[in-house]
Amino acid sequence: MTIASIAARVRDGRRIDGRDALRLYTGAPTALLGRLADTIRARKHPSGVVSYIIDRNVNYTNVCVARCAFCAFYRPVGSGDGYVLGFDELFRKIDETRAVGGGQLLLQGGHNPDLPLPWYEDLFAAVKSRYPDFRLHALSPPEILHLSRLSQEPVPVVVRRLVRAGLDSVPGGGAEILVDRVRRELNCYSKATADEWLSVMRVVHEAGLRSTATMMYGSVDTPAERVEHLCRLRDLQDETGGFTAFITWSYQPANTALSGVEATGIDYLRTLALSRIVLDNFDNLQASWVTQGGKVGQLSLAFGANDMGSVMIEENVVRAAGAEYCMDEAEIVRNIEDAGYVAKRRNMTYDLLGDPLFRRRAIPRRTTLAVARPAGDTSLPAELSRYPARSRPGREQRSAPDPRPA
Amino acid sequence: MHDDLTAALDKIEAGAVLEDRDWQALTGGRDLIALGMAADTARRRRHADRTTFVQVVSVSVSAPVPADPIGGDAGEVRLAGRPATAEAAVAAVRTLADRAPGVPVTGFAYGDLDALCGHDPVRLGDLLVDLREAGLAQVASLAADALVDPEPVVGVLRGSGSAVSSLTFGEAVGSDVWRLMQRVKSWDGIGGICRALAPLPSAEPSPPTTGYSDLRQVALARLLVDNIDSIQVDWSRHGPKLAQVALTFGADDVDAVPAVASHDQGWRRSPREEIRRNITAAGFRPVPRNGRFEAVEP
Ligand code: SF4
Repeated sequence: MTIASIAARVRDGRRIDGRDALRLYTGAPTALLGRLADTIRARKHPSGVVSYIIDRNVNYTNVCVARCAFCAFYRPVGSGDGYVLGFDELFRKIDETRAVGGGQLLLQGGHNPDLPLPWYEDLFAAVKSRYPDFRLHALSPPEILHLSRLSQEPVPVVVRRLVRAGLDSVPGGGAEILVDRVRRELNCYSKATADEWLSVMRVVHEAGLRSTATMMYGSVDTPAERVEHLCRLRDLQDETGGFTAFITWSYQPANTALSGVEATGIDYLRTLALSRIVLDNFDNLQASWVTQGGKVGQLSLAFGANDMGSVMIEENVVRAAGAEYCMDEAEIVRNIEDAGYVAKRRNMTYDLLGDPLFRRRAIPRRTTLAVARPAGDTSLPAELSRYPARSRPGREQRSAPDPRPA
Repeated sequence: MHDDLTAALDKIEAGAVLEDRDWQALTGGRDLIALGMAADTARRRRHADRTTFVQVVSVSVSAPVPADPIGGDAGEVRLAGRPATAEAAVAAVRTLADRAPGVPVTGFAYGDLDALCGHDPVRLGDLLVDLREAGLAQVASLAADALVDPEPVVGVLRGSGSAVSSLTFGEAVGSDVWRLMQRVKSWDGIGGICRALAPLPSAEPSPPTTGYSDLRQVALARLLVDNIDSIQVDWSRHGPKLAQVALTFGADDVDAVPAVASHDQGWRRSPREEIRRNITAAGFRPVPRNGRFEAVEP
């Protein structure tokens, strides 16, 4: 098919296959891709609303055994820079989130062998008993798989236990590119193969939970592999309908083992637009302003995105890889309205919650995102001693006398 | 495409006068891509797929000695800052021209030179001749927002055999910019002394401009200001991502690409490779130029 006939098919609202998607991606002018994506966005969201969520992006530990080559965030077991957040620290973060109108934590972290499944269950249960309405959007598929391996429990059992403890929904992190050639090169094949990532999501959806899906492109992947990734997500969405949204971002190379250069702004807009075209069974696409900056983040709204994502409040992973952008609620709303849309708050399932909160009550402006912990603070939370550590450094650390004054 | 926007774009194409309703459609609508496509068509008519860029070494006018030797990728050495006196300006140009043989030296804001000469057109004309003879290839910038009557400026520049690299809108934003664009469009002779128009603000205002407003500004500059050849974006000031996207919205020249790699994130790719990669990924053909707007492709 020619580009024109593929474009006509998209305009008619018909599905395109992977071969035609690749042809569009590699051959269509950027403006055409944007127009097609914008046509679909307008069809799916005719009211002109662009949504966003007030939640906090917390990384409970940076200790990780996976050692993905693209990750600047993790620290190996035993590292002096490794941290685990304590329950009280997390409660404080929830209090701060609620104070600015947030109702959810996006909670993800490293594959820490010294945090067993009961630690997560106790944490989730403690959060729910203190804050019954607060939502936990937590643990990407590779983290769930890690807990399954650590606890020797099947994934459905792990998911069931986490849900019983308070898990509300699952973020789509750790997908990178769902092609095993890429995953081997990125050293993330062993944390989860493409099939494993998808099968954890299937279990999550079957358990009645909703999740998001993601794609990190621009490392060692080819355009064809990006298309394959999108098609695999589309297939699973056909099967379960469990994904609420899709988010794509470019690999951030600074401070990573893989190194390299970042994909360009045009690459991002083209990839976003293609995602909107291929993922015809996804309602929502988020802008990744945290990797692209506020300006290109806003331009996402012309290239298929209908959601500005989260105000985040805190961010650790992308910052470690060299990108540091901040948008508070007022700034997100200014960008949405400047682009000609109506800004509305939402929750994880994309129910609209209302107009911007900062117009109803005074919310302090924020120009920087918080971090998990102040630099250099690697103190051990007291409750960790209740859980067995699996690694030798973890065992030694937990049996050492507490250096803090009584 | 929205009917009002189509009507406004048709009016621009026909050279008709724009009314308030047209401005609203051009500057307030959601259909950013339609505006970009119209600007891209206008830009391709003029420049096809050619996108020029210049790699600049910036040197302070108060200490006109480059920190590093001027490398082979530099297409321009630019004096930054306001000279204390006319003599200091000439001396700085002479020093730099000696240290950077073969690389065009540019510098100064036209308004600063005018102020140094007490706004006397004869003294200014003499200073411009002295600067040119000392080795100044072009005056770096001329602020359109500070210009009431362009005619004497065009006269002084022409009379002294000088030219300006970039016409800027200073720090103007919003409706001030649209007014300026219409004024510049009516200035006879401006294109003969000014090669490029840099439509984005020279300093980020508060609150900062948005991606939509920046791209609308670039696109409308290309569509409206047809008496200046190039629409320019600044790689260092606006950042690679926005500058690159602006190329698909009517810009055809990238200013202020560093001549030397920054090592703050570790060396990854030379600025020349990086700008080439970005221009190519945007669907254009990269052409390095120097401070005189001459192509320097080996
Ligand atoms: S991306 Fe996640 S799993 Fe991979 S090394 Fe980083 S923290 Fe660990």
